[in-house]
Amino acid sequence: MHKYFKQMDSLGKGLKDKFKKRSQENAGQLEQAEQEIREARETVKNFGLPGEKINSRGQLTIWQRLEILIDEGTWRPLHMVYNPADNEDCTTNVVDGLARINGRWAVVIGFDNKYLAGAWVPGQPENIFRVTDLAKRLNIPLVWVVNCSGVKLPEQEKFYAGRRGSGTTFFRHAELEQMGIPVLAGIYGTNPAGGGYQSISPTVLFAHKNCNIAVGGAGIVSGMSPRGYFDTESAKELIEAARRHQAQPPGGVEIHHDETGFFRFVFEKEEDVLNAMRDYMTKLPAYDPEFFRVDAPKPPAYPAEDLYHLLPLNQKRTYQFEEILARLVDGSEHMEFWPDDGFEVYTGLVKIDGLLFGCIANRQGFLPEGYPEYADYPGIGGKLYRRGLIKMNEFVTLCGRDRLPIIWFQDTTGIDVGNTAEKAELLGLGQSLIYSIQQTDVPMMLVTLRKGSAAAHYIMGGPTANRHNAFTLGTAATEIYVMHGETAAVATYTRRLIKDEQAGKPLDSTVEKMNQLVEKYHETSRPLFCAKTGLVDEIVDLKELRGYLQAFAGSVYQNPASICPAHQLILPRIIRK
Amino acid sequence: MAEEIKAPLAGKVINVLVETGDTVEEDDEVVILEAMKMETSVYASGNGTVKEVKVKPGDEVEEDTVLLTME
Repeated sequence: MHKYFKQMDSLGKGLKDKFKKRSQENAGQLEQAEQEIREARETVKNFGLPGEKINSRGQLTIWQRLEILIDEGTWRPLHMVYNPADNEDCTTNVVDGLARINGRWAVVIGFDNKYLAGAWVPGQPENIFRVTDLAKRLNIPLVWVVNCSGVKLPEQEKFYAGRRGSGTTFFRHAELEQMGIPVLAGIYGTNPAGGGYQSISPTVLFAHKNCNIAVGGAGIVSGMSPRGYFDTESAKELIEAARRHQAQPPGGVEIHHDETGFFRFVFEKEEDVLNAMRDYMTKLPAYDPEFFRVDAPKPPAYPAEDLYHLLPLNQKRTYQFEEILARLVDGSEHMEFWPDDGFEVYTGLVKIDGLLFGCIANRQGFLPEGYPEYADYPGIGGKLYRRGLIKMNEFVTLCGRDRLPIIWFQDTTGIDVGNTAEKAELLGLGQSLIYSIQQTDVPMMLVTLRKGSAAAHYIMGGPTANRHNAFTLGTAATEIYVMHGETAAVATYTRRLIKDEQAGKPLDSTVEKMNQLVEKYHETSRPLFCAKTGLVDEIVDLKELRGYLQAFAGSVYQNPASICPAHQLILPRIIRK
Repeated sequence: MAEEIKAPLAGKVINVLVETGDTVEEDDEVVILEAMKMETSVYASGNGTVKEVKVKPGDEVEEDTVLLTME
């Protein structure tokens, strides 16, 4: 099969100086937008007590712990600004991402011990579900750095209970274990109640000597005799009881290592816990990447910096997707599927670190004359038409057959509309694509390069494909909405405009509402909004995109649940005929 | 022999990126058209010199209107 993969077709071409000069302003604007997003991430990272304060207590911060735990240069953070509960004082108080640990990929998550000693806060369970879902979809270990003081008590009603409450995360750990996916946990500090279950629900527990885990912490143990009120006398009793219990919180290593054996290992130093987890990673199931490689890994033939010139921030400007792809995949090589049909969509095989992937993307710009074939109007890239939908259905199905993970790139305004399009069965073909994706059972990831809009955002591997989409990335040019704000304003207010005019009323107030809706759409589709509300899992600098593709590649091929032998692949043979 | 570069769709000329006498190479952007709410580049189909630019920004053009000629 090497003849297919070592001799793939070349993709893209070098940028000319005059093009770079003309697109310099665009590049500057994209870099500025990325800088603003980086600053937002940095604010989250530095939130809470200063690192020096944590260190003065003899502890490391979560960030220092991660630095020891993961292989240098492999950290691919996710959900940095995710804050679905719109907390004013922090985000979700957990830090997560993909990283390599001692050569093996893992989903990594840890409590931020700089804020309320790593407390549960509103929105946090949703963050953890994304992380457990990610481990499940990629079939790779989940590695926890636990340091959790339990519920932030004044806000418990927002996240403690319910179908998707904090306790649900323990069932997700059990679900991973049922699937054979190990959950490792390094445990630090005081972990009472919920923190205790965060610690106990993983598969193997690595404890620091000063940590403790317990059903209830010192605060509860010392105050469990309610009288219906508080007075000065009871307050003094509380102080005395708390002093006793806080001196030695329940559930220390003397109990959970020496007596119960819950802690598999105990270590003197914080660093030793992390190094032990690093060592343990080599005991977990993982293929050598060579087992799946179809070619030697190689970088793209063109620099990632070109992306800043190639991807227009101006949403109305078109570009050539193949030039983007050429800056992301091995050797800037590909094998295109159906190049002579379904022109608005790119489908093809590409390599990331020598591993094979299906790739699907929207093309932009003019389409050939006579396309779409069912209409008397011209087609334009970004929209989806009949042949493009059939092409994606077939490609996705064949990727499922060949067990090839899929990387999607979206920049779409939606599916063609109107009675002509309905007659061409576009509604049915869109849902067919959803069915095709659902039946593949291969991991997918999505990069929303610019627009994710209308039903096309669903059917092109978007996060709504819960069981398949491992994660979704955005860029500084991303915007996600059901339709453009102006289109939404027209759809919402046109009837009112007609009524106003018929009644002889001034149109000003309705026009004002239309403009307000446009403004709202703008604000609620920006990259940071998308990341904060979880419409994407992270906004990534363009020059960092390939790093995330490599993390996805290394993860999905580390321990796949099913395999198609390379010599039995059908897609390369269909393409080469 | 002069080669004509035509508008692939009806639209509005947003920008003309070349002048008479400019040397262009295949796939160079020469004109940007706005059509169907998108600004799309029109590219040179081969190497040559711009002989005549027939449109200016703001012009409305029909499909197949000659935008410029090259030789």
